[in-house]
Amino acid sequence: MNVATILFYLLSAVILGGGLLAVTSRKIFRSAVFLLFSLIGIAGLYFLLEYEFIAAVQIVVYVGGIVVLIIFSIFLTHGSGGDMEKPVLIRAVFSGLAAILGCALTYLFIKEQVFIKSNAAAIEPSANNIGSQMLSTTEHGYILPFEVVSMLLLAALIGCIVIAMKVKTEK
Amino acid sequence: MGTEFLLVMKSEMILTGIIFLLLILKVWDGIKSNTSLLYFVNILLLANFLWGFCCNTEGSLFNGMYQTNELIFLEKSILNLGTFIISLFAFDYLKENDNTLEFFILLLCTLLGMDFMISSGNFLMFYLGLELSSIPLAALCNYDLHKTKSSESAVKMILSSAFASCILLFGVSMLYGTTGTLNFSEMAPQLSTSKLQMLAFLFIFSGFAFKLSSVPFHLWTADVYEGAPAPVTAYLSVISKGSIVFIFITALYKVFPNFEHTWYHVLYLSILVTITVGNLFAIRQDNIKRFLAFSSIAQVGYIMLGISSTSIMGISAAIYFLIIYTFSNLGVFGVVSLVSSQTGKENINDFKGFYTNNKFASWVIAICLFSLAGIPPTAGFFGKMFLVTAGASKGDYLLVIVAVMNMVISLYYYLRLVKAIFIDNNDQPIASLKGSLPLRLALIICLAGVIATGFVSGLFEHITTLAGK
Repeated sequence: MNVATILFYLLSAVILGGGLLAVTSRKIFRSAVFLLFSLIGIAGLYFLLEYEFIAAVQIVVYVGGIVVLIIFSIFLTHGSGGDMEKPVLIRAVFSGLAAILGCALTYLFIKEQVFIKSNAAAIEPSANNIGSQMLSTTEHGYILPFEVVSMLLLAALIGCIVIAMKVKTEK
Repeated sequence: MGTEFLLVMKSEMILTGIIFLLLILKVWDGIKSNTSLLYFVNILLLANFLWGFCCNTEGSLFNGMYQTNELIFLEKSILNLGTFIISLFAFDYLKENDNTLEFFILLLCTLLGMDFMISSGNFLMFYLGLELSSIPLAALCNYDLHKTKSSESAVKMILSSAFASCILLFGVSMLYGTTGTLNFSEMAPQLSTSKLQMLAFLFIFSGFAFKLSSVPFHLWTADVYEGAPAPVTAYLSVISKGSIVFIFITALYKVFPNFEHTWYHVLYLSILVTITVGNLFAIRQDNIKRFLAFSSIAQVGYIMLGISSTSIMGISAAIYFLIIYTFSNLGVFGVVSLVSSQTGKENINDFKGFYTNNKFASWVIAICLFSLAGIPPTAGFFGKMFLVTAGASKGDYLLVIVAVMNMVISLYYYLRLVKAIFIDNNDQPIASLKGSLPLRLALIICLAGVIATGFVSGLFEHITTLAGK
């Protein structure tokens, strides 16, 4: 077992543990913080794969942006400090069973699957390359998805403004 | 790449152009009157629909990420027509609204997403199109800003669609892992009977089923439909669903032909429960929007019945039915939208004695309901007949018998509404409603469509030739 393998299992433990705690914690603020650990772990995985740029994006966008937004919106809602309701026992049991069985099934199938290694030349994951691929129309060019995402962001922005601009009067 | 791509992608280009034009209009703030703005937008949408018949150029762009052919152009025209009719219906609803232009910007963004989705030849583009067509819709569901029910509907919509997207993405990631490509055409031959790929297919199917709101993934539908404003509900039940059906056909026929045996069985079970549950729940609804939600669930079951036949007949029957469904369902929603925007009433009991004061609207809703139920002179009969014929071609008669028996059940609840409108007495029937000119125009278009699509026999043949190419 080399260092990379040990690191992989350590990071996976952080990701899965963080995820599990985020789902099971009774305080919503703590859930957000556990989510943070999970997302940092994913950035660590990218570093391990030597995808430095993606890892940096993961940290800047998810850790720096999204979790902070989530924490802000938790503070803006009522009762952010209180405990959340306990789920009904039977529901907890069944969702636990569904999660465990789903994991087991997927694991079995993945283990059985013979993955074929691609012969295609690897693409250098440098920021430079990623940038030019995003704006290229040739093979491995992603300009169309890039533009569609920008439309999506525009629509989301407008939708948020429309909803947030007006003060709601409760019916 | 020359300028030819402008023509190949013309539907998307024009929609994007309209979106930015509206955005500039909003910032410029030059047109103060809501009415003239609405007329202007309606004319733009009409032009957009008509332009869909001109200069159609087939082609594939961006290494197969984007592809289009005559059939896809026809599908986009159906969506454009539906959106135009809905924008006419929305006239009364938006007349007094402060955020008229944003409504259309969001609406057209979702339409753009649907266009990209049905033109996609790649799972990445498909997913982005799907998101672009569902996230702005959640904001539209929330358009009744003063109603908590509307917000509830938006939250339910966004949570359930996020959940569905997650499942779908998980499935796509497994397929990517096993085949090393996201392109439909490269992926299809690499799919074998590997168990992991089968599981991935099931995940992707569940994602689709969520968006189609087929049972057992239908639980969000009624709540979202009930809370959203009537034009948005109409959009959700006709346009949004229609676009998913189109890409669903592409996915099943082009990406998963090797899994035909599997997906036929999955579809089989799904159709049985969708039609039955949709119909049985529709019987007990009192709110007309919830009623229409369950009726649309049942209709999706019939569309899936046509798709299950794996034949060109199946594709063309499904698309033909969607044209008819667009007219019939929008006709019903038009009247519901008229009543709800002017009186706020949305209960089936409120419609008792509706005929007394609103003769024309009553006839429109009755004929459209007949079409939805599939009664002969209306187009709905032919649509259902083709779907059932296509479904029967596989020789699974149990499925066909259940489907036809359910048509009888559906007749009961559709006629219950017709009875309430025409026969039941009411001391205080809804007063005579004077809809605006665009709204009446839209009702006339729907009525003409319901009657004409049944008689213009060339339409079905035309779709069949396009589908057969």
